[in-house]
Amino acid sequence: MMIQQIPTLLDWLATLPPDVVNAATSYAIAMVLLVLLLLISKWQGLGVGNKLIVGTIRGTIQIILMALILVEIFALENLAIIFFVLFFMAAFAAYTVRGNLDHIPGVFVTSLPGIIAGGVGVMALATVLGIVEQTGEFIIPMGGMVIGNSMGMTSLVLDRMWSNAQKQRALVETALALGASPIQATEVTIRESIRSGMLPNLNRYASLGIVSIPGLMSGMIIGGANPVAAAFYQVIIFIMIFLSTVICGLIVSRLFLKHMFNEKLQLTVPPPAH
Amino acid sequence: MCRMVLAHMCVMTMNGALRDPFQYVKMGVGVGNFGETNMDVQPILDMKHITMRFGKRTLFEDVSISLHRGETVGVSGPSGGGKSTLLRIAVNLVTPTEGVVTFKGKDVNEWDPRELRRQMILVPQQATMFPGTVRDNLLWGLRIHKMKSTEQDLLDVLLQVNLEPKMLDRVAGNLSGGEKQRIAIARALLLRPDVLLLDEPTSALDEDSTLIVEATVNRVIAEREIGVLIVTHNREQAERFTSSVVEIGNSEARK
Repeated sequence: MMIQQIPTLLDWLATLPPDVVNAATSYAIAMVLLVLLLLISKWQGLGVGNKLIVGTIRGTIQIILMALILVEIFALENLAIIFFVLFFMAAFAAYTVRGNLDHIPGVFVTSLPGIIAGGVGVMALATVLGIVEQTGEFIIPMGGMVIGNSMGMTSLVLDRMWSNAQKQRALVETALALGASPIQATEVTIRESIRSGMLPNLNRYASLGIVSIPGLMSGMIIGGANPVAAAFYQVIIFIMIFLSTVICGLIVSRLFLKHMFNEKLQLTVPPPAH
Repeated sequence: MCRMVLAHMCVMTMNGALRDPFQYVKMGVGVGNFGETNMDVQPILDMKHITMRFGKRTLFEDVSISLHRGETVGVSGPSGGGKSTLLRIAVNLVTPTEGVVTFKGKDVNEWDPRELRRQMILVPQQATMFPGTVRDNLLWGLRIHKMKSTEQDLLDVLLQVNLEPKMLDRVAGNLSGGEKQRIAIARALLLRPDVLLLDEPTSALDEDSTLIVEATVNRVIAEREIGVLIVTHNREQAERFTSSVVEIGNSEARK
């Protein structure tokens, strides 16, 4: 039965465009790098092995499905549908953050408004101001970058706030004992985590064009756009990313305080398990 | 040496002439009131029948404390007996399993937590400094409560806890344990509280500094008529420094 199906599979593979076959071959070879990464992770006890395996499988399926419908999405000119897609991306980003921080309560309900306000909000503002062309071809990929960075910021802020409340419990309680509000008791952590979340992009921003030729510009040039136009768009996307991550970080941090403190302004974060 | 003698004299005066004779009241796990100071006046802090349990473990049970203005009450007991928890309950950082805490006649749950903790300040055993200098730390509490102070106020409070004025611009994180402890007390005093809750305030200090801090607290009690609840392991300190002592968790932390 299996043997009979092999010619059918080979026939189907023969129908694929050569560039897809080449990419799939590279993908298969790249698994060697993944194995290397898993070995390092296990050796160093990083505890991210399972997440990397699941992420690779899930990410591959997701991005292939996305690629198959991208042609249709890029052609969209109906802003309502385009922004529906962005909302879906934001919801999925919040779901992803929750999955990675499953030991922390209230992650999804905190992340979602932050990512929507930061990511989708900044895209809406850019669209209204005419900074971004009102087609799916521009809004969706730029939205993806903005939402993706907001997601990273959300993860970092929540993780830092939670772990600092555990590890620096004495500092938080000292502040509370002096009559501080939750936001005053955590202001240093919030400020530092937002700054840390921006740092990688600030480094890329500072070395723009010399050390780093970021994704959007590369993609546009490969796609045949004028390199100067692509360069302008790259600076624009950086500014949008900074704005969205700061808005997202501020909103998420404030919403998350409700999950760290109760109405009596008592710290409800449990001490670390060990 | 001279400083020691002076400080000791101050303590002696406070406990001898101005305040009631020392009374040591061994509470065990139980109820108690202690000291006869101001018994006819409503206490500023009243903790009634406080019990604290974590799951099936009872940390302490049915502890009662009344603290009046101008009075120093000690809390004593073995390590892990819940002394620090009792102070945290007073400022509503922790809710007791049973019992009621009132401050100035009002249940602490009815207070705005921020205002409660401005008027009744807990100085934890492990003095934790905020990032920045000693000045930043002293101003921290004032800033969050939008209270004003002058440079002279900062210098005065440093002198009160026997620290040099030049210390103002030192990085707080680099101070010794004893210096941090005194900065933590100074930081609290600047907010002009009505009650100070001191958790082993002199555990990191040498004898000389211990007596000076005690003298400082006594002077503040006399000048401002504040009440002080102090956790101490030191029996001698309790005897010379407090008007009464509540002992908690004495009959073991029961399962």
